[in-house]
Amino acid sequence: MPSTQIPPIAGSAIDPTSLRPPIDDAEIERVAPATLRARLEELKNGGYAMLLDLGAVDYLQRRPRFDLVYHLLKLQPKKATVAEVGSPARLRVLCGVDESEFVPSVMDLWKSADWAEREIFDLFGIVFKGHADLRRIQMPHDWEGHPLRKDYPMRGPARERSPRPSFANKSNVVAGTPPTGRTFEALQEEVKRARES
Amino acid sequence: MTGSATPLSPEVVSRSGNTMVLSMGPQHPSTHGVLQIVLEIESENVVKADPEIGYLHTGIEKTAEGLFWTQAQTVMERMDYLAPSSNALCYALAVERLLGIGDRIPERAQIIRVLHMELTRIASHCVWLGTHGIDLGAISVFFYCFDLRENILDLQESAGGARMHPNYVRVGGLNGDLPDGQLTHLDALIEKFPGRMRELRGLLQANPIFQDRTIDVGVLTPQEALQWNVTGPSLRASGIAYDVRKAFPYTGYETYEFDVPTRDEGDAYARFLVRLDEMEQSMRIVEQARKRLGTPGPVMIDDPKVALPPKETIALSMEALIHHFKLISEGFRVPPGDVYQSIESPRGELAYYIVSNGENRPYRVRTRPPSMYNLQALKGIAPGNLIADLVVMIGSLDPVFGEVDR
Repeated sequence: MPSTQIPPIAGSAIDPTSLRPPIDDAEIERVAPATLRARLEELKNGGYAMLLDLGAVDYLQRRPRFDLVYHLLKLQPKKATVAEVGSPARLRVLCGVDESEFVPSVMDLWKSADWAEREIFDLFGIVFKGHADLRRIQMPHDWEGHPLRKDYPMRGPARERSPRPSFANKSNVVAGTPPTGRTFEALQEEVKRARES
Repeated sequence: MTGSATPLSPEVVSRSGNTMVLSMGPQHPSTHGVLQIVLEIESENVVKADPEIGYLHTGIEKTAEGLFWTQAQTVMERMDYLAPSSNALCYALAVERLLGIGDRIPERAQIIRVLHMELTRIASHCVWLGTHGIDLGAISVFFYCFDLRENILDLQESAGGARMHPNYVRVGGLNGDLPDGQLTHLDALIEKFPGRMRELRGLLQANPIFQDRTIDVGVLTPQEALQWNVTGPSLRASGIAYDVRKAFPYTGYETYEFDVPTRDEGDAYARFLVRLDEMEQSMRIVEQARKRLGTPGPVMIDDPKVALPPKETIALSMEALIHHFKLISEGFRVPPGDVYQSIESPRGELAYYIVSNGENRPYRVRTRPPSMYNLQALKGIAPGNLIADLVVMIGSLDPVFGEVDR
């Protein structure tokens, strides 16, 4: 098994999300990073009171490289019975982002975006502009690299193995070096720049 | 005693002005796992609470990208280890949607899925209630709860083969039919349940100490609950009856009769009552599912490209042997596309956003972890309360750290 696992892309389908008509009950919308913030604000004022989830996907060979995936839910922020809630509208907002781009934070619109954005920063290395407290959340604070990127080795960075030569020699698993070796300091610099710009 | 006490290290305690920074956890017994909370306190009052998570981060989402679609389900179950079947079901539903076989799952498999989902909800709430009770000094509740949970784990073990992670729900149906004797045990459980619930309610519901500790503690208004993205019983305790089983039904939940318990107060006591009511509603669903289990039938989809052929056919049929070999050695391929599938797990809206690129491994599995978002609300509700009440709030939000950290 190679240390860096990049699953092959089926045919020319670099972005599988564009290939197929939607199969779940969410509406889908694609927004550019420049208009993302304004659009989300508009949606929030239009009744999407809940930011259900915020995730990211790395399409390594595509430009822009990453997709941010916002899932919004249209719920009224007041007491409601089952009949009143009904089947609230779900909306998926996709936003393509490149590696060097800053994305506006939506932490002031939905407080729950705080940890979600920190997690994406941590695991994908996407920097959110305007986030008050952008630091790693799942990985240790001085970790190098962003594990959920597709070019990050599946078994993590190479490190010294435990002194069990019989196992070490037979192991066919080769741990590699993360290619995006941004150091702790470099990452801090980038966050600082995003805050100042 | 002068000079004999060891001073705490400066990383743990530091003072500025009237406030003091205190680190609670990650080994604190009342944090239900490995949660660290960096507290800013003024005497006994919390000024600011900043939960630090990630101590249990195991990279499940990354691991899944290197596994076949069926293998990945095994690691999914490890997220919410108190309700593993709910994770397995949500993942299976998402993959079935991508495969386009969602409407071909056999009827009996659907019923047993619902049955196990609700049993797992009761078992999970049992752990919550027992540990919540212990946090507040009510030790005996724990034993009553774990006794009830034990019966459910026995059912899971006999059905799936393991107590904690049965891996019973599979893409396309179930691992196998219910074993002989399971229904007898199930009937015994159904009979035992109402009495046990009366005991649990009797121990806590009208208990003045329990009420004093929980009423008006950690109040979440509907506005705040939506801001913090709180779902599940914690949201319903704030008055919003959003339940994925009603809003976006799956596995035939629309054919079962059950209520969605809600409360208006939004405090820890309301969350306690909502969960207790929910256990009773779950048992209502279990009883209905039990009645439908009369007719035998297949529990796995009849599609050799997805489901393993029956073991006994492998020695007799060439096709079965080939299908078996292909499924084991390289898995099945899933058409490209993306899907967001959610279910109502015991903790709230559990969802998977899965992207497939047409290969035999998932390209990306994003989990919407209900515990993580629920726990985050602690930042909003903790300030202004006592440290002792913080313990109540964590307990009432019911986080599971396998899922928060993944």
